[in-house]
Amino acid sequence: MTPDALLETAALMGLFVLAGGGYGGLYSAGRLWARPVLIRAGEVCWLVAFAIALAIAVWTPLDVGWKLLILASAIVYALIPPFTWRYLERLHHEQESHR
Amino acid sequence: MYRSQKLSLRYYTAAVALFGVMTVFGLLSALYYLYPSMLFNVFNFNMSKILHIDTLVIWLLMGFLGAVYWYLPKELGREVEGMWLAELMFWVFCATVAVVAVVFLFVQYGGANETSLWLINQGRKYVEAPRWAAIGIVVVMAVFAYNVIATCIKAQKMTGIMWVLVLDLIPLLAVYMDAFPSDTNMSTDLYWWWWLVHMWVESTWEVLIGCIMALVLMDVMGTSRRIVETWLYIEVMLVLGAGILGLGHHYFWIGTPQYWLSIGGFFSALEPLPLLGMVVHAIYDAGTHRMKTNNQPAFYWITAEAFGNFIGAGIWGFMMTLPQINMFSHGTQWTVSHGHFAFYGAYVCGIIAVLYVAKQHVSGVDVLAGRAWKWGFGLLNFGMVGMVMALLLAGMAQAFYERAIGGSTLMAFTTASENPWFTSGMYARMFFGVIFAAGYFVLVYDLLTSPKRVPVLQAQPEPA
Repeated sequence: MTPDALLETAALMGLFVLAGGGYGGLYSAGRLWARPVLIRAGEVCWLVAFAIALAIAVWTPLDVGWKLLILASAIVYALIPPFTWRYLERLHHEQESHR
Repeated sequence: MYRSQKLSLRYYTAAVALFGVMTVFGLLSALYYLYPSMLFNVFNFNMSKILHIDTLVIWLLMGFLGAVYWYLPKELGREVEGMWLAELMFWVFCATVAVVAVVFLFVQYGGANETSLWLINQGRKYVEAPRWAAIGIVVVMAVFAYNVIATCIKAQKMTGIMWVLVLDLIPLLAVYMDAFPSDTNMSTDLYWWWWLVHMWVESTWEVLIGCIMALVLMDVMGTSRRIVETWLYIEVMLVLGAGILGLGHHYFWIGTPQYWLSIGGFFSALEPLPLLGMVVHAIYDAGTHRMKTNNQPAFYWITAEAFGNFIGAGIWGFMMTLPQINMFSHGTQWTVSHGHFAFYGAYVCGIIAVLYVAKQHVSGVDVLAGRAWKWGFGLLNFGMVGMVMALLLAGMAQAFYERAIGGSTLMAFTTASENPWFTSGMYARMFFGVIFAAGYFVLVYDLLTSPKRVPVLQAQPEPA
């Protein structure tokens, strides 16, 4: 790995998780306040995360295994916020009906 | 107030005092980077760093103990069993810490023999306390475990949270035994030493703070027991699933077999996933309560914990966790940046939230609000974010100039240490460290002053 590639790869990996977090945050805020625009912004964040994952796969000197892992992570990132949100809603509704 | 809650307040007081000591030695350690010959042969950098890190471990541990002693009677509906022993252990703990601090300050080091190991310094990073003190900590933790388990038995009651807590006590105690061996083979020694450091911090402590946060969420936000327990189980499953073998990221460069590169990298890369779920959960909970609570400071610190954990452990960790990058970044200020942010997000924010829960109870106000806590919250968070950004800048400069370009030679180390990117990072870290210290003083001031009485926003929620 060249010195430049080291910093570029690390920065891309940090930005990848940051964009994933942005997606989670904006998606949740959008669902919370019923603002579709925030959900869309969240989805854009996920697209950015996926694009970064692709960039890591194409341009960085990481081993193939790590590239595949990062691409798989990007797909899992897409699922976590909606699944978590749905699960939380179900849990809270069950709790309310239980009360 | 239960007797164990009074003990808890003592633990909190000791914890906050040690938080201050940690901050002082943190600032001093930062100064050495600006003036390397400062206090040369009087009080060297290594002792300052030891005191900074060891007090961090101890004050968080005291915070955890305080939080459990606070909530235990509430959770089980009775006084904690064996209180006299618990109270005795508090003083044993404080006396041990004080004596070790005096030895570190004035004796500092001894010859390479058993006497030094037993009385002065074990020489093992983060668990430098001499062996007699380490035995003292084992006794304190054993009594703590006895208190928790005996109370559960006497109360004849086990909640889901208590099951998790009791089971967590086993590794909490067992893993600390790793503080004792002194293997002369450095690889073997580090192999087991990482069990202690990693398994405490990224496994047992995570579960412990998860239990504490579950109790705080029920207390402060009225979240139902079923919800917090369900989340606690999921969190334990995910944290342990990714965290235990995530240990491998410490095994990359200590002489262990090559397969640790794959295991460590893989499981560490999974670690941000549960943290992302926690961010979603935090936003959901905040929204459910419309950001309204009768304990604003605790609520904000709990929320800060979810975000801080994600950013500090998730983003900062992922950036440098794969072996190809870690080869250049480990042991630089980059790692220091990650360590600061992850500890702060995962533990410090949570313990401060618990302090505010106790403050509300002790002061007897229905609503805890005001302005001072906001200053403390702002300064501490701003100071920490500034410090970790500065350290990241300096660490990246080290990885780039010293490791990747210079090939990790002594000359490269010197060159990188004089590089403007590195030195400016060190100055910035000092500046933000002072802001953090200011935040600490505001926090202490706010914790010590009586809150104003303000009208109740909503009935204090009762957990189901």
